[in-house]
Amino acid sequence: MEIRDVAPLAGVTQQVNDSLTDVEVVARVLGGDGEAFGILIRRYEPGLLRFAARMLGNADAAADAVAESLVRAYRHLGQCRDPGHLRSWLYRITGNRCRSHLARKHMSDLPLSEVPAPALADEADSWTMLERSEQVALVARALAALPPEKREAFVLKHVEGLSYEEMAQVTGARIPTLKMRVHRAREALVAALGALV
Amino acid sequence: MTDRLDDAIELLKTPPAVSVEARVMAEIRQMAVPVTARPVRVTRILPWLGLALAAGVAAIFLISTRNAQGPLGESEGMAQFVGQFPGARSVEVVGSFNNWSRGLLHLRDDDHDGIWHAAAVLPAGQHEYMFVIDGERWVTDPLAGRFVDDGFGSGRENSVLIVRPAVQP
Repeated sequence: MEIRDVAPLAGVTQQVNDSLTDVEVVARVLGGDGEAFGILIRRYEPGLLRFAARMLGNADAAADAVAESLVRAYRHLGQCRDPGHLRSWLYRITGNRCRSHLARKHMSDLPLSEVPAPALADEADSWTMLERSEQVALVARALAALPPEKREAFVLKHVEGLSYEEMAQVTGARIPTLKMRVHRAREALVAALGALV
Repeated sequence: MTDRLDDAIELLKTPPAVSVEARVMAEIRQMAVPVTARPVRVTRILPWLGLALAAGVAAIFLISTRNAQGPLGESEGMAQFVGQFPGARSVEVVGSFNNWSRGLLHLRDDDHDGIWHAAAVLPAGQHEYMFVIDGERWVTDPLAGRFVDDGFGSGRENSVLIVRPAVQP
């Protein structure tokens, strides 16, 4: 057997997994293929971690919250009434974990190191990098200063790109309420960014 | 200023450079495969039986520690689970006290009258739980005194029990 056959086969498997819908993956898991849950983790982990990190202001706490949420999701997967809206369901579980975490512990100022700066087109431009880092820290602090429900609404809408219908499923709040929270959060962040001038 | 907010949003889209996949998969490999929840069939309870259950057991209640085998710790209490599930082949309890794991706390119906029961020593405090019928049907205890949203947006509720610490002689 030629070893070179392994990589293409793995690639094909990945493509097949990527083409499966959430409903199909959930059916596989409930049918006894627990490993298939890894497909859902890889599909939604980045967004859930980003959401939790913005809510909690701490990467370690976010990782704990997301890990706990995914385990809970696996355990109760059979109770997900609509696997076609799995993303909203996972964000709801994660949001609940974040709220529990925030209720137990007051959030402290966000350490600069907790918010990684995105890669720059020109890494050699240290001045631009420094400016970006300062902006990241400022934005993160402004976000952390928002009340949790406004922070959650802003992040779900503008960072995670959820629709208002999905946000209502995640938060349990009404759409007009969510629109107002997003609006207020935008106002507060614009004011905070203006303070930098 | 809106451009600046848009730039800020782009900065916030950077995910943390961590992954929990290995940690989560390692944990769920130790767990049973999740079961599909089916529509709950509400069992009609005869008035006299309902009263008896509500007064006598109400699904879960604290019983005298004098009946417990061995001394209970100061932060423990004895809880009894009772439910009417005629025709069930198995009934078990999963809850926050056993990490929602199946196979740990089974109810018994030795006289085959459809009333299942079990007792367990639990840590004092508030616990959430559900019954699992025949290994696949998750049922909220209709006789529990308190209920809480299960947190999954399904509109389902977990039953709540409060275990008080054992009274020391």
